[in-house]
Amino acid sequence: MSGFTISRRKMLAGSAMLLASTAMPTLGWAQTPKKGGRLVLAADSEPRNLNPAIVASNGVFFISSKIVETLAEASFDGKDGLAPRLALSWEGAADGLSATFKLRDGVKWHDGKPFTSADVAFSALQIWKPLQNLGRTVFKDLASVETPDDLTAVFKFAKPTPFQLIRNALPALSSVVPKHIYEVGKIEDNPANTAPIGTGPFKFGEYKAGQYYRLTKNTDYWGKDEPYLDEIIYQVLPDRTSAASALEAEEIQLAAFSAVPLADLDRISKVPGLKVITKGYEGLTYQLVVEINHRRKELADLKVRQAIAHAIDKDFVVKTVFLGYAVTATGPVPKNDPQFYTADVPTYAFDVAKANALLDEAGYKKGADGNRFSLKLLPAPYFNETKQFGDYLRQALAAVGIDAQLVNNDSAAHIKAVYTDHAFDLAVGPPVFRGDPAISTTILVQSGIPDGVPFSNQGGYKNDALDALIAKASETLDTTARTDLYKEFQKEVAADLPLINVAEWSFISVARDTVGNIANNPRWAVSNWADTYLAD
Amino acid sequence: MSPIRRFLRTPEAVAGAILLAALIAMALIAPLLFPGDPQAIAGPALLPPFQDWSLPLGTDRLGRDVLAELFHGARTSLAVGLAAAAAALAIGSVVGTLAGFAGGVVDEVLMRITDAFQTVPSFLLALAFVSVVGPSLGIVVIAIALGTWPGPARIARAEVLSIRERDYVASARAIGMHPLEIAFREVLPNALPPGLAMSSVIVAAAILTEAALSFLGLGDPNRVTWGGMIAEGRAVLRTAPFLSIIPGIALVLTVLGVYLAGEGIVETTAVRRGLS
Repeated sequence: MSGFTISRRKMLAGSAMLLASTAMPTLGWAQTPKKGGRLVLAADSEPRNLNPAIVASNGVFFISSKIVETLAEASFDGKDGLAPRLALSWEGAADGLSATFKLRDGVKWHDGKPFTSADVAFSALQIWKPLQNLGRTVFKDLASVETPDDLTAVFKFAKPTPFQLIRNALPALSSVVPKHIYEVGKIEDNPANTAPIGTGPFKFGEYKAGQYYRLTKNTDYWGKDEPYLDEIIYQVLPDRTSAASALEAEEIQLAAFSAVPLADLDRISKVPGLKVITKGYEGLTYQLVVEINHRRKELADLKVRQAIAHAIDKDFVVKTVFLGYAVTATGPVPKNDPQFYTADVPTYAFDVAKANALLDEAGYKKGADGNRFSLKLLPAPYFNETKQFGDYLRQALAAVGIDAQLVNNDSAAHIKAVYTDHAFDLAVGPPVFRGDPAISTTILVQSGIPDGVPFSNQGGYKNDALDALIAKASETLDTTARTDLYKEFQKEVAADLPLINVAEWSFISVARDTVGNIANNPRWAVSNWADTYLAD
Repeated sequence: MSPIRRFLRTPEAVAGAILLAALIAMALIAPLLFPGDPQAIAGPALLPPFQDWSLPLGTDRLGRDVLAELFHGARTSLAVGLAAAAAALAIGSVVGTLAGFAGGVVDEVLMRITDAFQTVPSFLLALAFVSVVGPSLGIVVIAIALGTWPGPARIARAEVLSIRERDYVASARAIGMHPLEIAFREVLPNALPPGLAMSSVIVAAAILTEAALSFLGLGDPNRVTWGGMIAEGRAVLRTAPFLSIIPGIALVLTVLGVYLAGEGIVETTAVRRGLS
């Protein structure tokens, strides 16, 4: 892995040099970070709860990761792909029953109180494990956190827990919040959930609904000379078409998370003073997935699922729906994952004739109107691309004689229809891969998940062999053996198709040339931005 | 002079009639010119208009033929407009006739209900109805009719109030006809024309409402609609503006046609009344 990183970094550096050599005379690229300035950027959603320890989602991280820090952040060149934040080092015991974190000295909360291991223990036991959407699974066996001194936290697990999983979970799941603020009253109702207090480079300033969030510089930050920016303003621009014009009008300097529609990128990349950046989201891979309701008797038939997989032209989806800003998928782990991905899985080439033959074999002959059966198709409304893929999938299924009727819902109604009421036959979903299959990927196919848990297997799929594999991997401590089990898992999912992975994509940032240190880690948009600066 | 010739002598009416005829022709020949699913992928994505003569108006983001979508969209728009107007007229004239003919408490109750519907902005009513029941073509028609029937109801009632004092109504009573029979066989047919004149406005409003609902993503996703086309084109407004402009022009021309033709009808009937 390190070899790959080095070569890529060299290549990046090379291309940056090349770029700089042509741009230098006109743009005057600043090399040394400059202090001060206000960064204004586009925000497309307004999360109510800004506590990343409770709601571990990118929408919340986008704002609160600057205020509340995690134990470690993802890194392009750090050991195990991590860079230290609140923890300086981490080590798992050989028996998988404990993990020791050495914490950073001299860190202060925004209200001036010192940060200690008690805060980590409190966050882990009172919030991550019982309340956090992702932590509930990863930290389910966490029994206690010992704090031998102020700068050491020892996580004790009731059952052996692979340290590889804990390590991979650190960037997204380990936001530490202050114990002295949260120990009073009910955690869910704490005022700090809407006005967070953390240790990060920026303090929460104010929030005006429908207008902006303002973060101000934390002058007491532990990072030397950091942060560089004085202020960050998240300008609320819910209309995706307005971010591009706001950038051109210099009202904002940055639009992350593909706030500028993909179709506009080609044009905007030619606007002087603006740059299009495709890096900085490697750790936030979204997967375009066809979710299948196995309660439908047609879809419970593997041949039908294989036929649907053969009916989808993945290259067309990447080229047309994503305009090339995506890659085709082979299975439940994205291709860009350095630890777990394997290409050695059954694949389904685009082949309409084969799909038709499989459906005939399954006993679903075409009727007089050319249709074999009808399905209800629910595309998730969160992204333009998921909706467009829904339109495409309807056409792709029509080509093999499956009549898919689209049902459009808003976000809340979609989540209820698919994950609570199971009122779907096929759904298009965008689950997120978070660096380890056990965090949010195995849940998509594993059985026995209660109704109403979003982004999980609500299609009634049950495969005992796969369940056993997932259970075994969750208690396998040896990293190599565990990784091999997840490779097995990918093969099994691709063979039995509890869902169909179509493509993997990440986001694009568009920024003014003056914004420096963009995309310098794999979770840049949701990292702390302590080193982000504005040149003249 | 016959009403048709009188109608044809007003230039705006003729313009309106031509536009409407074109729209109806589009709707009728759509399945002949573009057989099969108009949403099928026909070529490369985002092909600009007038580049490839097999796809004269270009293609949208998935490579669907814009011209085929436009023609099939005309069917949806016209179907929704006509069905919604017919439903609104039917509900409105029945309620108006009952209220006007019965008078008293029935009149009071029915007219207060009408008031209640009239005070709620009809678009909001449609929006709420569709988002609760779920979008499909039938539901959209009902949703639009729900907000537009009070207009015809008020007009029908006013007409009925004057008609029910006429001699032929009195004579119908004298020969012992049932009041409901009088209301619907004698009074309603004579109270209809002013409501019909209003129907053109209702059709235009219904087409616009349907387009607006589709634009907001509350149209039937399995059918091509002009509003839906505009909404989809909006994401690429800067790079492929034709995707929004073409259905937008179609929409403008349709509403203009319906309105001008309606004006023509109103003028024609007004002249006839003036003569009689």
